[in-house]
Amino acid sequence: MSQTQELRWVPFKSLLKKETMRFWRVIAQTLLIPLVNSTLYLLIFGVSLGNSIQVGSGHPYIAFLIPGLIMMGVLNNAFQNSSSSLATSKFHGDLEDLRVVPITNLQIVLAMAFAGMIRGFLVGLVTYSVGQAFFLITQGTWMMVEHPFALLYFLCFGGFSFACLGIAVGFVAKSIDQLSAVGGFILLPLLYLGGVFFPLGNLHPFWQTLSKANPMLYFINGVRYGILGHSDISAVSCAIFALVTALVMFGFALRAVKRGPYQRW
Amino acid sequence: MADTVHKPLEIIGLSKNYGDFKALDSVTFHMEPGEVFGLLGPNGAGKTSLISVLTTLQSPTSGVAKVFGRDVTTAGRLIKSCIGYVPQETVSHGFFNVVEVLRFHSGYYGIANNETQIEFLLNRLGLFEHRNKRVRQLSGGMKRRLLIAKALVHKPRLLLLDEPTAGVDIELRNSLWSFVRELNRDGVAVLLTTHYLEEAESLCARVGIIHKGKLLKVDSTRTLIQSLTGREIHLRVGGDLSGIQHPQLVEKKDDTLIFRVPSKVVVGDVIRDLKLSPERLLDVRIREGRLEDAFVHLLQETR
Repeated sequence: MSQTQELRWVPFKSLLKKETMRFWRVIAQTLLIPLVNSTLYLLIFGVSLGNSIQVGSGHPYIAFLIPGLIMMGVLNNAFQNSSSSLATSKFHGDLEDLRVVPITNLQIVLAMAFAGMIRGFLVGLVTYSVGQAFFLITQGTWMMVEHPFALLYFLCFGGFSFACLGIAVGFVAKSIDQLSAVGGFILLPLLYLGGVFFPLGNLHPFWQTLSKANPMLYFINGVRYGILGHSDISAVSCAIFALVTALVMFGFALRAVKRGPYQRW
Repeated sequence: MADTVHKPLEIIGLSKNYGDFKALDSVTFHMEPGEVFGLLGPNGAGKTSLISVLTTLQSPTSGVAKVFGRDVTTAGRLIKSCIGYVPQETVSHGFFNVVEVLRFHSGYYGIANNETQIEFLLNRLGLFEHRNKRVRQLSGGMKRRLLIAKALVHKPRLLLLDEPTAGVDIELRNSLWSFVRELNRDGVAVLLTTHYLEEAESLCARVGIIHKGKLLKVDSTRTLIQSLTGREIHLRVGGDLSGIQHPQLVEKKDDTLIFRVPSKVVVGDVIRDLKLSPERLLDVRIREGRLEDAFVHLLQETR
């Protein structure tokens, strides 16, 4: 392999490996907590309250809920992975390493974003597995995936977009508090109000219109379309929105990586 | 091998401003191939700002910085491949152990399998038995050794040492300097920033003195000492000293006369001028000027 080829792939692969190993080292936080959360959501909302909630598509409520929980886990964990990695590196002081070695800004963004996607997918898989178990118990059959490629499309673009957002926020944040504020006051409310737990049609028309400004709605409905073959928003709209969001977030992340700051907190 | 075609470092009129504050003010100097160059200055003089520009952590406000003939602002990636950087402060790498950190760091330089060099560095820097410890479990000295190992995983041709011995015990300091000399013999050029002047005096062929962002003087260490300092001659003399006079006599202490003379003045001239009989001369001690004296002298001149 030539030196140019080595500089093209090896730095990217090294950072990707580091970022993946990082969340794997704290697997109790990264996978077991989402497993417990998914189980609780499905038990409380899917099983206990599910019978009293009607969804227009004719699917049982638990079938409506599972895709939303999967995407919520993917988006949240993709964001958490890249943002918390940057926060930890700023705290430990090793973020400067990335500035003084010959790794490109693009390689940094892609490696961190892919690591975030991997964590998001693993959490999504865990949630899907728990969901299947609940679906089998309550419905007596497995839940089939209607459009696997559409599902993959939304999982990829959703995970990528939110991992990139995590990179941008991780760089811009000046403290752990600022990072937590973005997660707790912006992302979590948007996720909860993005149609994970209720169909859009159940809302007052005013709130329906307002909800359409929530980016989470498109990702969650895209995944719901992939699994159930039905969603509150047209799949094409969701797909275009996901693509545009991914490009915009990628731009934010690239800009953040280029500008820093890389100094320790 | 040393790059004998290009200068390892060439700085021309380099300035770096943070708002109204001038961290670097038209700094110009160069390093010769295979040289150990010392950049000396008090805290806040601009040493770390200069290193930050070379490592592209900061971009210059104006001026040019070239590493092996390439401009840092346009060929950053190529330059980074031939620079090893040891920062001032230690870092932690919370989740990873020593050998993992070195493998990742090798990877960032495009080296997929670097076990031979990693093992060499672990052994040479006394880290081998700690290789499986997480970095946060290491002592401060061990963390600093790890920083040096990280800077050398890709066999750089220019090593930037930013205050590498700040807060380091004497044993580690000595072993570090012997390693730096060894690297330098193998052709690695070294830029050392420090405010431990005795280190610079013993290691550096040339030094530059920087203060408040301005480079006050660049010269060979010996020339700088000779031009900016004198020598102290201590003569122990028997008998009565009260009648002895000399223009460069600065102190009489018990049976000792202390003279402060320019470096080029030899002790024989002083003794001859005193017209002492040989039996009265009991002992002669000479204290040569130190880099520290030159440094203090230069800083006082600028106040």
